[in-house]
Amino acid sequence: MAEGALNYDPSKNYDDQTCAQQRDIEKAIADEQPLVSDILSFDELKTEYQDDEIFKLKIDDLKGRYKHMRKTRGDGNCFFRAFGFAYLEQLLNNNTDFPRFKEIASKSKDELVALGFPQFTIEDFHETFMEVIEKVEKKCTNEEFYQLYTDQGISDYFVVYLRLIVSGHLQKEEDFFIHFVEGGRTVKEFCNQEVEPMHKESDHIHITALTAALGVNIRVEYMDRGDTPKCNQHDFPDGSRPSVYLLYRPSHYDILYP
Amino acid sequence: MSTPARRRLMRDFKRLQEDPPAGVSGAPTDNNIMVWNAVIFGPHDTPFEDGTFKLTIEFTEEYPNKPPTVRFVSKMFHPNVYADGSICLDILQNRWSPTYDVSAILTSIQSLLHDPNPNSPANNEAAQLYRENRREYEKKVAAIVQESWNDDEDDDDEEEGEKS
Repeated sequence: MAEGALNYDPSKNYDDQTCAQQRDIEKAIADEQPLVSDILSFDELKTEYQDDEIFKLKIDDLKGRYKHMRKTRGDGNCFFRAFGFAYLEQLLNNNTDFPRFKEIASKSKDELVALGFPQFTIEDFHETFMEVIEKVEKKCTNEEFYQLYTDQGISDYFVVYLRLIVSGHLQKEEDFFIHFVEGGRTVKEFCNQEVEPMHKESDHIHITALTAALGVNIRVEYMDRGDTPKCNQHDFPDGSRPSVYLLYRPSHYDILYP
Repeated sequence: MSTPARRRLMRDFKRLQEDPPAGVSGAPTDNNIMVWNAVIFGPHDTPFEDGTFKLTIEFTEEYPNKPPTVRFVSKMFHPNVYADGSICLDILQNRWSPTYDVSAILTSIQSLLHDPNPNSPANNEAAQLYRENRREYEKKVAAIVQESWNDDEDDDDEEEGEKS
């Protein structure tokens, strides 16, 4: 491997090699981590940080405020995957928000098409998205829901559609979001590069757009290297009452249960 | 039950038949929906005009969340096509969006023939000639256009799509 880097061969297709390497890494992660884990205790989380006093203090802080957690696969889709699971699981157990959400979900396809998304492919994703939501509506068991949501094909379709909703919202509110796009890109370019492709990690701007588009509030607990003994919290939108709780560790989101 | 990738490919095929874009065609191979043959007709007003270029498209179960692998089977001379026929096109790599379908892929490759990107060359000779000696570039392209007709013989029913 090492000498290959020194001998650049212009007739070789390095893109393919890079892609192959990328695939190997993704496969290793997929073999190791489920899309969404079983329920875990914070003591289990602690075992990852044996020698890390700051993180252990922060886990104790979480332990005082949350019951348990679930981990999601670190494949760049974790924010969307975690959000979708946490919110739908909640609707399964308490459906008061269901009619409002279903209406937004149903209408979203026509809105995306009106924004110029290709109807044919949007319909494909929307159909699967609604199938999952309808399973929740029909009160499948928690076990059935877990099976459905951790089926790779279905789960990825669900994630894609959430990404499309975010992309649509950012483009619809372009005048506002242009101020948060870095690198001199247009909002559309940002969506093409950082929102729509699978495995692109999410940032504040994605979370802000998703909460606004779906009307579902999120609290993120930030567990970082800062030397305060507590996690920092951020509510999206600011000052709202959260219904989905996520844990953020540098470049990864998991699910929290209050 | 069929997987999302296979279900989606059936839909892509149906759409390509019902609403075919000008100058491209494609269909799954007889026994495998995951491998397609396609043809791109060289766009008008380009040196590729009148060429009939064959390609293969290989999908994985991760389609449409991951792009397929697309290669020219016909010989190609283009700044962004490698010697083995694989294509350097952003939407087939890091800028893939799951909203693209086969139709979008083929029309994007067709416009790449029209508008090469000499800044990310896959074929240095083609990129250099394209920049510095357009006549020689066009001559080389004309040669592969000729060659593209030769391997048409064993192929029959694909070619009726008209060039707009």
